[in-house]
Amino acid sequence: MAKVQVLNVAVLDNPSPFGNPFQFEITFECMEDLPEDLEWKIIYVGSAESEEYDQVLDSVLVGPVPAGRHMFVFQADAPNTGLIPESDAVGVTVVLITCTYRGQEFIRIGYYVNNEYTDPELRENPPVKPNYTQLQRNILASNPRVTRFHINWEATLDKMEDSENVDPAPNTMLPPTSMPSKAPPLGLMPDNSMDCL
Amino acid sequence: MKLLKPSWVNHNGKPIFSVDIHPDGTKFATGGQGEDSGKVVIWNMAPVLREEDEKNENIPKLLCQMDNHLACVNCVRWSNNGLYLASGGDDKLVMVWKRAAFIGPSTVFGSSSKLANVEQWRCVMILRNHTGDVMDVAWSPHDVWLASCSVDNTIAIWNARKFPEIVMTLKGHTGLVKGLTWDPVGKYIASQADDHSLKVWRTMDWQLETNITKPFSECGGTTHVLRLSWSPDGQYLVSAHAMNNSGPTAQIIERDGWKTNMDFVGHRKAVTVVKFNPKIFKKKQKNGSTPKPSCPYCCCAVGSKDRSLSVWLTSLKRPLVVIHDLFDKSIMDITWTLNGLGLLVCSMDGTVAFLDFSQDELGDPLNEEEKNAIHQNIYGKSLAIMMGSQLSSTIIENPEMLKYQQERQGNQNPNGAQASGPENQTPKLTNVLNGESLEDIRKNLLKKQVETRTADGRRRITPLCIAQLDTGGTAAVNSIGMKSNLLLTSASKIEPMKALDSRFTERSKATPGVTSVPLTIGITPLDRVKDSSSVKEPKGKDETSSDSEDKIVVKSMTKRKGEMEGAEVVEKRKKGRPRKDAKMMPISQPFPQVTFLLSTDKEPSRLTTPVALLKLPTPSIQKSFSTQVSTDGVTYLEVENEVSVVSGSRLSQLKWSREGREWDTLLPSRIIIATGSSDVVAVACEDRTLSVFTACGRRLIPSIMLPAPMSALHCSGHFVMALTASATLSVWDVQKQTALVKNESLNPILSGTEATVSQSFLTRQGVAVVSLSNGKTYCFNSSLETWNLIADKQDSLVQCTDFRSCVSSQDALGSMGPLALTQGRNLSAGRLASRLSSTPHHLQQGMTLAFLEKQLASALILLSASEYRHWLLIYARFLVNEGYELRLRELCQDLLGPVHKSSSSSWETTVLGLRKRDLLTEVLPVIGQNLRFQRLFTEYQDQLELLRLK
Repeated sequence: MAKVQVLNVAVLDNPSPFGNPFQFEITFECMEDLPEDLEWKIIYVGSAESEEYDQVLDSVLVGPVPAGRHMFVFQADAPNTGLIPESDAVGVTVVLITCTYRGQEFIRIGYYVNNEYTDPELRENPPVKPNYTQLQRNILASNPRVTRFHINWEATLDKMEDSENVDPAPNTMLPPTSMPSKAPPLGLMPDNSMDCL
Repeated sequence: MKLLKPSWVNHNGKPIFSVDIHPDGTKFATGGQGEDSGKVVIWNMAPVLREEDEKNENIPKLLCQMDNHLACVNCVRWSNNGLYLASGGDDKLVMVWKRAAFIGPSTVFGSSSKLANVEQWRCVMILRNHTGDVMDVAWSPHDVWLASCSVDNTIAIWNARKFPEIVMTLKGHTGLVKGLTWDPVGKYIASQADDHSLKVWRTMDWQLETNITKPFSECGGTTHVLRLSWSPDGQYLVSAHAMNNSGPTAQIIERDGWKTNMDFVGHRKAVTVVKFNPKIFKKKQKNGSTPKPSCPYCCCAVGSKDRSLSVWLTSLKRPLVVIHDLFDKSIMDITWTLNGLGLLVCSMDGTVAFLDFSQDELGDPLNEEEKNAIHQNIYGKSLAIMMGSQLSSTIIENPEMLKYQQERQGNQNPNGAQASGPENQTPKLTNVLNGESLEDIRKNLLKKQVETRTADGRRRITPLCIAQLDTGGTAAVNSIGMKSNLLLTSASKIEPMKALDSRFTERSKATPGVTSVPLTIGITPLDRVKDSSSVKEPKGKDETSSDSEDKIVVKSMTKRKGEMEGAEVVEKRKKGRPRKDAKMMPISQPFPQVTFLLSTDKEPSRLTTPVALLKLPTPSIQKSFSTQVSTDGVTYLEVENEVSVVSGSRLSQLKWSREGREWDTLLPSRIIIATGSSDVVAVACEDRTLSVFTACGRRLIPSIMLPAPMSALHCSGHFVMALTASATLSVWDVQKQTALVKNESLNPILSGTEATVSQSFLTRQGVAVVSLSNGKTYCFNSSLETWNLIADKQDSLVQCTDFRSCVSSQDALGSMGPLALTQGRNLSAGRLASRLSSTPHHLQQGMTLAFLEKQLASALILLSASEYRHWLLIYARFLVNEGYELRLRELCQDLLGPVHKSSSSSWETTVLGLRKRDLLTEVLPVIGQNLRFQRLFTEYQDQLELLRLK
């Protein structure tokens, strides 16, 4: 089980001009004292087409984290407009908040972001070269998409992997018939597709 | 009978694998598959029971949902006291939940359901042991144990009072274990597995009581679960899927002889779950009819893969009711309300059904007293196990026992408040905000939060702790509801794009990169570009490289630091040694090296002993030195070598002083070692002679000629111990003028090791103790003529024993003695063992037993009476606590001895000068503390009394 549970993320200063920094107020709960810091990142997806245009807006270490409930505000500068394909500047994209522990990502919170001109004139006839000063960023805060990943929380790497991620011995494998409809929908099984090794 | 399918009880269409009603009947839990994890949901029972509550918007239906399980939850079970909920799932974990009464509603962040949790249930314990999916969990009667079974073919028995301690892992099934049930009397636990067997295990010794295979030989492993059940009167055990004449049945197994003559027939497909009604019923007395004494009977619900449910009464030949097509898929679990009239059923199709019976249909439920009376009738007074609360109901059979129990309770009361129930240990969140409202804090959080830069220039935020995990109070914190930020744009305008959607769930390659890449220093430029390709921003790249360098620097720095610390530790240890030696003083004399005051004269020894024979170091000769001997009255020995030269021979002076009184004597050779006790003074000279004087300076015996130079010399009482450089040991009783140990070689303990003697001393009883540099300590037993290992720093037994619970505060004094001296520091290290939760309890139990017996034997061989008594009492307490009856009986028998004297008996009345029967008198109250041994107590108490009268 994850030692850190994200309880809430409040999107602050939203909607806001495109150039304003992102602000997320993150509340999380920790089951026990963490010997190492958590690393949080805000990733701005520049273009839906390719990960190439992803920008890590900032990464912060958060710690020390004793057992309990904590909150902090994660503020990061707006994306570098020079790195966003012009065709993707206006419209819907995604901002991701990820958290890693010991270099392993265990939670990914995604929000849809809609960038659009507030001025009806510009909305009707958007300029070819985006005018970022007129763009408004709107994060769809009410609908966060949370994906949790199963990671190894302990320092003793191998042991944990053995006990939690490795399939039981072949003779204890379930016959397929005895597990009807238990598999989560295909393509959405990040917990089982362990890639933290 | 009323039937209801509350549609609001669902896991968003996902299967529900388990359901369990809370003992107080106000809520129930379901377990199953969640969105991308396992899911446990706690529901309000009231809307199920009453239609008006279901319609009332103000009455919450969902109380709490937990998605902490990483994979499908197969079983949820409330503890009998209702405080805990245990859940087991495909993630191989068992989680134990407890309600936290501290914060208002909160949501599961990111879940599609926006319903707030009304109750806060928090995972207080994660039990990891199974290597496969956990299929079923079960609390024992009185919540002493929690059992879990798994597809790894094992059953784990957890100590529910000391999670995560494992009492036992039951191995024997050769297939997936899919169901568990405890005997209501507590004597057995039964399990059913895919290996075509049902096994009944004893809780007394966790061994197999019986293995039933016949009714299951035809079964195929096609059911997801095999939830079997034990009747509330304990007389019948009913299995899940069994076959009779190729028809699916639920096999009835009688407790008496484990006979399998009856079964529940009628289901068309395999039976997945059987659940007995917790109540025992008797016939409803009709008005006017003559009260006819009728036999009490039980009620049992059977669910099957054929999607139908049947309810049976043991007094009827045919089922009371059969409901077909209740679900679209197999029935997975059944639970009864505690009053026995309600029944919840869940199915793989993701729905639940509620059945409400009337008393007319089922009969009059017996009350607890009547139920207990039945148990008493069937199982008699002596219930098989005496655990916890059951103990208190045991009858105290004699007044002596009552006295001890009362005394004990009286002693315990002052500490009663600290009684360590599991409740006291469970963490709770407490508010740490000093009167400030959360809203205020949130407004200024960005400004207030502490942000620093790490050495490599990265931002580091110290989060604001808004609630701490501890055992304290229940102060309420304002709810952290999700702030609903209204969107100006209509949601429809934001068309989710598939390309973007995938980004929510896929871990980006960039993410783990920043921290993990730097660890590889020899990375080629090409690789690096590839790694950071997704981070187009040049800043990101810089971060990556600078990060790597810093990390390496830090690494080497910390390494160096570690070395330095190591050196410091070594130094400290060196410093520490004299102090340790000083502690030894009351018993004997430490190595003289330590007390040398001057080391001016370093003339090489003129003696010509072959070097090869010199196995032990000899102290170098000093011009003068003084040493303190015996603590009762500060006594000093002062030695001055070569005070004068008389006709070619050098004279040395030995000076003794105690509180103003003093004497001196001259010796014809230089003195290497001088030592003394309150009774004697011994001096070893360069010419290999040993002289012994009384405390008044009178020579006791002419000089003893030694075979080799002296390495170490000790006095204690009338005993003198000499360790020569050729590694031989001698001990003399100078008063009786006898040799206890005669030139005994240290070869047996030295050979094969690189070790040398690091320390030696002589106990008051004249037992020579030699510690080696490899951490082993031996003593020489003169009657056996053997070297005996009494302490070993590497001994893993010491590391893993835990007998703290058996040590009482008064014992501290008794533990002083030669044994404690040799292993004192080790013992405290051993106490850390209890923290190593990885050691299974039964193993630790065994190790502790072995360790304690070793201590007892060591104390005996060291002739250390007080330590013997000390360890004997601890040993007895341990035996009593852990229930080793045979050993306890043997111990008592030895202490008591034969009641009638006979000449053939070799029984000694004393041990180390302690009267054995006195020891027994001390041990008996210890035994009396456990009611389980009251017969033993009474038996020996009576015999002791008898002997006293004689």
